[in-house]
Amino acid sequence: MNNTSSHTDLILITCTLAAVALPLLAALVNFCLPVKSKAAGWVSTLAILISCVLAAKVFAGVWNNPQIHVKQVWFTIGHTKVYAGILLNNLSVLMLLLVSVIALPVHIYSTAYMKHDDRYSRYFTYLSFFCFSMLGLVVIDNLVLFYAFWELVGFSSYLLIGFWFTRDKAVQANKKAFIMNRIGDIGLLSAIIILFVQYRTFDIELLFAQKGLVVQSVVNNGLWNGPVGSLPAICQYIAVAGIVLAVAAKSAQFPLHTWLPDAMEGPTSVSALIHAATMVAAGVFLLGRVYPMFTGTELSILACIGCFTAFMAATIALTQNDLKRILAYSTISQLGYMILGMGVGAYSSSLFHLATHAFFKCLLFLVAGIVIHQMQHIKEDNHLDIDPQDISLMGGFRKKLPLTFIAAVIGGLALVGLPLTSGYLSKDGILIQAFEWSDGKDAWFSIIPVMALVTSWLTAFYVARLIFKVFFGDFRLTNAYPNLKLHVTDGGWPYKLPLVFLMLCCFFPLFSFNPIAYEHAWLFSGLKLPGFVIGESSYHLIIPVVVNVFSLLVIYLAYAIYVKQIAFSFPQTGFFYRLSYNQWYFDKIYKRIFVKPVLGLGKFLYWFDKNVIDGFIHLLAAIAGCIAGATAWIDKYLVDGFLHLMASTVQSIGNFARKFQSGKVQYYLFSMLAIVLALFILKILI
Amino acid sequence: MITLNDFLIISAALFCIGLYMIVSKRNAIQILIGIELILNAAILNLVAFGKHDSLNNSGQIFALFAIVLAAATTAVALAIILNVYRRYKTIDPGKINNLRD
Repeated sequence: MNNTSSHTDLILITCTLAAVALPLLAALVNFCLPVKSKAAGWVSTLAILISCVLAAKVFAGVWNNPQIHVKQVWFTIGHTKVYAGILLNNLSVLMLLLVSVIALPVHIYSTAYMKHDDRYSRYFTYLSFFCFSMLGLVVIDNLVLFYAFWELVGFSSYLLIGFWFTRDKAVQANKKAFIMNRIGDIGLLSAIIILFVQYRTFDIELLFAQKGLVVQSVVNNGLWNGPVGSLPAICQYIAVAGIVLAVAAKSAQFPLHTWLPDAMEGPTSVSALIHAATMVAAGVFLLGRVYPMFTGTELSILACIGCFTAFMAATIALTQNDLKRILAYSTISQLGYMILGMGVGAYSSSLFHLATHAFFKCLLFLVAGIVIHQMQHIKEDNHLDIDPQDISLMGGFRKKLPLTFIAAVIGGLALVGLPLTSGYLSKDGILIQAFEWSDGKDAWFSIIPVMALVTSWLTAFYVARLIFKVFFGDFRLTNAYPNLKLHVTDGGWPYKLPLVFLMLCCFFPLFSFNPIAYEHAWLFSGLKLPGFVIGESSYHLIIPVVVNVFSLLVIYLAYAIYVKQIAFSFPQTGFFYRLSYNQWYFDKIYKRIFVKPVLGLGKFLYWFDKNVIDGFIHLLAAIAGCIAGATAWIDKYLVDGFLHLMASTVQSIGNFARKFQSGKVQYYLFSMLAIVLALFILKILI
Repeated sequence: MITLNDFLIISAALFCIGLYMIVSKRNAIQILIGIELILNAAILNLVAFGKHDSLNNSGQIFALFAIVLAAATTAVALAIILNVYRRYKTIDPGKINNLRD
């Protein structure tokens, strides 16, 4: 234990432990409840509410104060002691608070959203279990336990994506998510192993602190020299690549992004919590934890990955018709921004964006949930065969769902990053720093910030398209079915309260009193890396203006296209349309390059197993059968036959001999005579 | 001239007849007669060989003893046959097979 830990520290640590453990407790309680029990929702919600309060207390105690780090010996192998403990610094308490605060409205929302589900308490079991894993992940100080929570997060995500496991698509989706995350887990695991071999510790603080072991080690002459030992330089590259892989899988970055859109098969409330705000942010959080590992070229690679992902996902989101899929690609795109931010050294902006994105994306998903819920009702009331998530069937919900509409607009504006919203502060921070970063480099590097800029306009377009198609115009389903019965409302307070709460969190005052300049946000300054200097370039003025003016133009364009329908409509046959609509053919390419060969290999192995290995076994069995048959024959006819022959010989000799024992005196005498005579004759003959 | 061989041949013939009777007859009395014939063959041999003995008439005296002994044994044998008859109601030795296993 850390001897300097004072009384207040102790209280904070206890609060943290309680905040992490409460959802687990709720999960256990819910697990014991009957499957349809309505109490489950309130158990989980109460647990997360208390977690939230405790997290707020911890946050208030730790933010901008010296970090608290307590650890205890977990186990000893040889002379190596492995410690486990809790590391509370600005980053982890921010995540602790963020996760619990996002989880709370989602829990409240879920009590209404999942009300009619047959496995209501199971849902809350999984949801609480996820919260436990995520909260544990952010406060733990040890890479092994970090990995364990990382896996638990993936596992609970798997359970929730496949929550409606009777749908074939959901089963496919959760399998896909699980397998793709497994690829990232291999990367993380190998990185952890290499770090342990190099530094002999799993402790995150020792490894990645300002003067930590990672910072002290250098690569020269093909050797990676650390304070404890040295390894070939290739090991460092493998470790970094492993971390990048883990981040790419968890945060759905290219090339491992394709699981996230499919993960939308889960309940929408799950998507809001896990696949928009918290779990997918775990990758970015991991980057934040291990940031000192990345230098120079590695950061540039991160920036490229993030930038490409952001751009690609945004182009895909332009043409999708599935409401949740658009939001999923938007999430991928925004996560790409965060990775880009990490890559260009905008560490605090990136984490700032993570926090703001969590709120507005969660809000947008909850809105999507309400809309889909209403469409589902319309579908069931009128016995229609429609996809309730298809935005081309929606329209005109502005009047029917007024609160939802306002929430969607606010969330959308924050996502686009218009002034006065939280998204503006964080996104412009990343863009400005990206431009500053590319200034000092080759001309080629300026592609990255320019692409990011274009992406933000694309974002404006698809957000506008989504909102205009869903909320403006006429309800397009009535064109096809004129006699629809419609009972569309915003829903009760469990729907409205989370929306209002998250709406308020999308505005600037929560993060900064200055709505224009991100540098003044308390969250930004709290996460600044040591030695970070805010640039004084002219970008600070130009970028926000350019971004927002163009965004407004783009939104107006979308308005003209989708509401007024005066402008041209896009041709739906062009190459770019098809590229975007088919999601850049990634799924098809992966299917062809990876899935098919793997399945082919599987089939071949099955064939090999069935015909060659089984055949060999069967052959052996047949041979053994033959040998056994031959042995049985030999046993029966030769060995037994010989014995029977002996027995029958002895018997016949006995029978022959017993004929002499007739009991007749004369016969005995005759026999004796015959023998005596025979002896005489023999004697004469010999 | 009657030679020793003639006596021996007669004796052997008697012996064989006696043996045949013992083996083949179905009546205990006849078997007893066969035994007597064998005994007489032996006595005849004794008398015949006695002629060539250094002591005069010793063979004949032995023969007399043997005849007496034979009478005694015949008496005993008849008594046995009587008892057998009482027990088995037959004197056919072929039917008395209690010695069998």
